[in-house]
Amino acid sequence: MPLLSNLTQEAFIAARSLADYVGGTGLRLGVTGLSRAGKTVFITALVEALLAAGRPAAPGRRNPLPVFRVHAEGRLMRANLEPQPDDAVPRFAYENHLASLTGGEGGPDARHWPESTRRISELRLTLEFERKSGWRSGSSSLTLDIVDYPGEWLLDLPLLSKSYAQWSQETLEASAAAARAPLAADWRGYLKTIDPAGPASEDIARKAAELFTAYLRASRADKYALSTLPPGRFLMPGDLEGSPALTFAPLPTEGGSPSGSLAAMMERRYEAYKTHVVRPFFRDHFARLDRQIVLVDALSALNSGPAAVRDLETAMTDVLMAFRAGRASFLTTLFRPRVDRILFAATKADHLHHTSHDRLEAILRHLTARAIARAEGVGAEVDVIALAAVRATREASVRQGRETLDAIVGTPLPGETVGGETFDGAQEVAIFPGSLPADPRTVFRGDALAIPEGEADYRFVRFRPPVPQVDASGGFQPLPHIRLDRAIEFLFGDRMA
Amino acid sequence: MTDRPSERTPRPRAFRLEDADLGALAPERDRIVVESQPDVFAQPDDETRDQEEIVESAQKKGIVARSLMSWGGLFWSAAFGLVTLAMGLWFDSLLANLFARTPALGWIGVALIGALVLALLVLAGREVSGVLRQKRIGQMHIALARARETDDTAAARTLVRDLTALYASRPDTARARAHVLDLTREIVDGRDLIDIAERTLVMPLDQTVQHEIARAAKRVSVVTAISPRAIVDLLFVAAQAFRLVRRISEIYGGRPGMVGFLRLLRSVGAHLAITGGMAAGDSLVQQVLGHGIAAKLSARLGEGVLNGMLTARVGLSAMAVCRPMPFAAEPSPGVKDVAPFLFRSGEP
Repeated sequence: MPLLSNLTQEAFIAARSLADYVGGTGLRLGVTGLSRAGKTVFITALVEALLAAGRPAAPGRRNPLPVFRVHAEGRLMRANLEPQPDDAVPRFAYENHLASLTGGEGGPDARHWPESTRRISELRLTLEFERKSGWRSGSSSLTLDIVDYPGEWLLDLPLLSKSYAQWSQETLEASAAAARAPLAADWRGYLKTIDPAGPASEDIARKAAELFTAYLRASRADKYALSTLPPGRFLMPGDLEGSPALTFAPLPTEGGSPSGSLAAMMERRYEAYKTHVVRPFFRDHFARLDRQIVLVDALSALNSGPAAVRDLETAMTDVLMAFRAGRASFLTTLFRPRVDRILFAATKADHLHHTSHDRLEAILRHLTARAIARAEGVGAEVDVIALAAVRATREASVRQGRETLDAIVGTPLPGETVGGETFDGAQEVAIFPGSLPADPRTVFRGDALAIPEGEADYRFVRFRPPVPQVDASGGFQPLPHIRLDRAIEFLFGDRMA
Repeated sequence: MTDRPSERTPRPRAFRLEDADLGALAPERDRIVVESQPDVFAQPDDETRDQEEIVESAQKKGIVARSLMSWGGLFWSAAFGLVTLAMGLWFDSLLANLFARTPALGWIGVALIGALVLALLVLAGREVSGVLRQKRIGQMHIALARARETDDTAAARTLVRDLTALYASRPDTARARAHVLDLTREIVDGRDLIDIAERTLVMPLDQTVQHEIARAAKRVSVVTAISPRAIVDLLFVAAQAFRLVRRISEIYGGRPGMVGFLRLLRSVGAHLAITGGMAAGDSLVQQVLGHGIAAKLSARLGEGVLNGMLTARVGLSAMAVCRPMPFAAEPSPGVKDVAPFLFRSGEP
């Protein structure tokens, strides 16, 4: 049965990619990242930067994307938002997200980061440019398809290759580990009182699912910042809340699952979850990617401690195993698209001084080492950068007595704390976030989780979006960024040569 | 988090900006000074980018031209081939005649032709290697500019290693090469590494080049001032300019033969065509002024100054095109920097 469904899925993917190829020159950009990694902000900033690049530049203005070659060489003519190809998927609310970043109607004081994404959405962008390379010179266009989705759902992809028994065992083992045991205490307590081989009962199933969900939610809180928490729809149910496909929980399955038992019901629901939720999601949005950017919010995990960092490593490695990487050739482009370039980006790089970016990149490289090795092994190109799609801070040096510190200046979100001070979200503050260790392996050592603020060597505060700058004509200037142009160049600059 | 309580690492902390403003009232020891730092992610000036684009486009017209084959190239190759065939026929009949007269004479003829062919092959090989070498330097220039722009550490390391390899046969650069090679193995950002290489390795060469340009400009202006006929100084200026371009290419590591030199001249010409027009704006005043004062003393003296400036400009274009990296850490010199004597009032 799984073989058959796999085969149909493969056939479906091949058919759609063939249709894509015949349909025109497009590029499906996969923006991958767990929740709060900054997918929505990245997409908004990317679209805004490209649209701004496509407009005729005001004379004397500096080019905000110098590394993006096709633009720097003056060959990019236009960038347009277009109707997306899938009629059943909502459009990515680019205008709303941009308005929340700049404050929109409410003025600069109303600026805030976009709300966390609750459903899937899609956007198509067409870039018109002139080729300069040899026999294909002349005007041409590139269509970018970008999908935004709740990052929690990404956690489901590893489930595709796991049976219920396997998943139950892994989840139970993980919840028994030192870092998670206190969070999972309620759920595990309840688990002891039920009998998996007993008769199926909707009440028990609901109660177990509720407690399990509560445990997942608690682990995700900022304080702990744990990442490996499948199934993703439990955290962000979308429109499936309360349906049977979402009312299950892992059970110890040593006793097997005789038909009619609670375990059998759970197993059936788990399989239904995979068939009706995970597989369509993967097939429709991830199976046909050409390029991929993996956004990783390493700073939250670093704030929490080594256990959270290792958890993030596990989650990222599991998720990335689901993607197809490899060098693209004509045949693979036709039938089995592969991701031939992957960019790993440590987001929120503006939360530390640029002199620490190398260390952040080293940590990310270490964090995703297995995924990088796998991608490079099959011929995909890989790069690792520290990125800030929207830059919320500027840099300063602070001198106190004989000590000089490299600090960043920005407006922290209300309630953030550093060095015993709590901020109100209105004041600009210079913050020295501490220094990352020179050896990236250091941050993986130890079992600490949710390290209190006073004990950590570093503390990364979240900032509000930058105050939008108005230019002479009354419009907003492009949002400041760090290395967004380098990311753009790497992701699709070569397709616009 | 780690087991080193005794070691004092700075703790994460916040500084309210208003505290810093009030800091003047606090005692010296506790005063907090917050100083804004230059923005490293700010975009480079458009002007320097433009300069770089001109240099690269000039290089692409000559020394790193993509195709070795052009219509002109085809014409010359075909013509050369025909001449070679004709020579072959002629040699053949010559040898036949020689052998017919005395076998000994014939063998001498064979030996001479063999020597001729050998020399021709060596010369051709040198030509090709010269062209390729110059091309490699041009590509290095473009790649270094790109690596510096993107702050690409990995690319910077390999490129800087290539750069040191280029100057491996120069004993006077030994120390700088060792220094830069050491740095490629340490943690230095790509952009910084390239800047360091420029300052330590390329800057001494720049000084030699500037010195050469100055000497050529001086010679040209003096000879023009005292030459009896216009045709003499015309030839002299041309010869000096060619010699200067060749010399600059050699200083930066190129070995232009004949074809390589022609390609180089094409690049220099392209660069000169663009920058000459732009420079007319900023130094026309000086030129007119210089010419004016000199011309008041003597018409020939004024011409000398102008020819000297022309030579210096050719030299600067050759410098920009032959240099294995863009001007970044140090500013690109102008006519006034290399030949200040041309602007001093009156005497050349």
